Amino acid sequence: MRRVARAVLVAAVRGRRARGGPWGEAALAEFDQTTGGWEAVRWAAGGLRAVWHERRARTRTLPRGVRLQRAAVVAVLLMVPVAVVMNQFVLTPRYMPSGSMEPTLRVQDRFVVDKVGFRLTGIRHGDIVEFDSPREPGTLMLKRVIGLPGDTIECRTGRVYRDGTALDEPYVDSVASTNDCGAPVTVPDGELFVLGDHRLFSQDSRQLGTIPQDAVDGRLLARIWPLG
Amino acid sequence: MPRPPHASPQTLRLFEALLAEPARWRYGYDLSRETGLASGTLYPILMRLSTQQLLDTGWEASDEPGRPPRHTYRLTADGLVLARERLAAAASRKPGPAAAFVPGKA
Repeated sequence: MRRVARAVLVAAVRGRRARGGPWGEAALAEFDQTTGGWEAVRWAAGGLRAVWHERRARTRTLPRGVRLQRAAVVAVLLMVPVAVVMNQFVLTPRYMPSGSMEPTLRVQDRFVVDKVGFRLTGIRHGDIVEFDSPREPGTLMLKRVIGLPGDTIECRTGRVYRDGTALDEPYVDSVASTNDCGAPVTVPDGELFVLGDHRLFSQDSRQLGTIPQDAVDGRLLARIWPLG
Repeated sequence: MPRPPHASPQTLRLFEALLAEPARWRYGYDLSRETGLASGTLYPILMRLSTQQLLDTGWEASDEPGRPPRHTYRLTADGLVLARERLAAAASRKPGPAAAFVPGKA
């Protein structure tokens, strides 16, 4: 234990140099005075703190340019793990592979998915959610939420009705184009009825049935490309 | 009221130890034992006192061959004045919770 404590302190004081700063060397020279493993570890731990203070004092004397440069490098290095975590769990850029959400999102549009917001606010009518495809697990789909649990959804003469009321759907390109809904569906607890905005083309709850809310992975935040 | 510099309980304990024999050069380890301050507390205080010319430092070759030289400390004239002043001020104040703090025995 003493040997390990000493090795750690030597590494901290000297690094790659033959000799460290005076205060680090001072703590190191006194190390031999300690007796027993536990005291040696405590001495070395305090020595690390002394080295840290000494380094900080030395850094303050460096020219401003060098300090800024170092700060920039540290910031960039810290950004990498932060960005990975953000990308995985908070905001993710995505690419639209199909035309099923036209005209809201066209093929090859890029957009940002918010993976946290919907968990805080809950999913609402009209949200565009990303979820794992029930038919091809591992493939993500993007659709608009039409029915929440308890809603009864049907379509007649190309229009969508929620609990008997026709929906006003300004985001759909061709009016009265929603067909093939089958019998009216009452959305069960924990499920969602979703439709793509391109009703003629989209594969959605009309074919797949309601989808579990657990499968939802994020909510569309904004399109980022093309701009505007 | 903000505390003046070099008046923390830890610094006062160090002053006491250094004032016991002001002319003698002291080692870090002995000071640490005497004051009960851990090395991580003691050395930053020594650094601070040294940069403000309150503490003289020197290197003393070890009597045992192969051992590195040891760093030694002694208060400067300014340091002596300040240490006496701070200790007197602390003694005249009524003992608060800070004065009751005894490192190593707490």
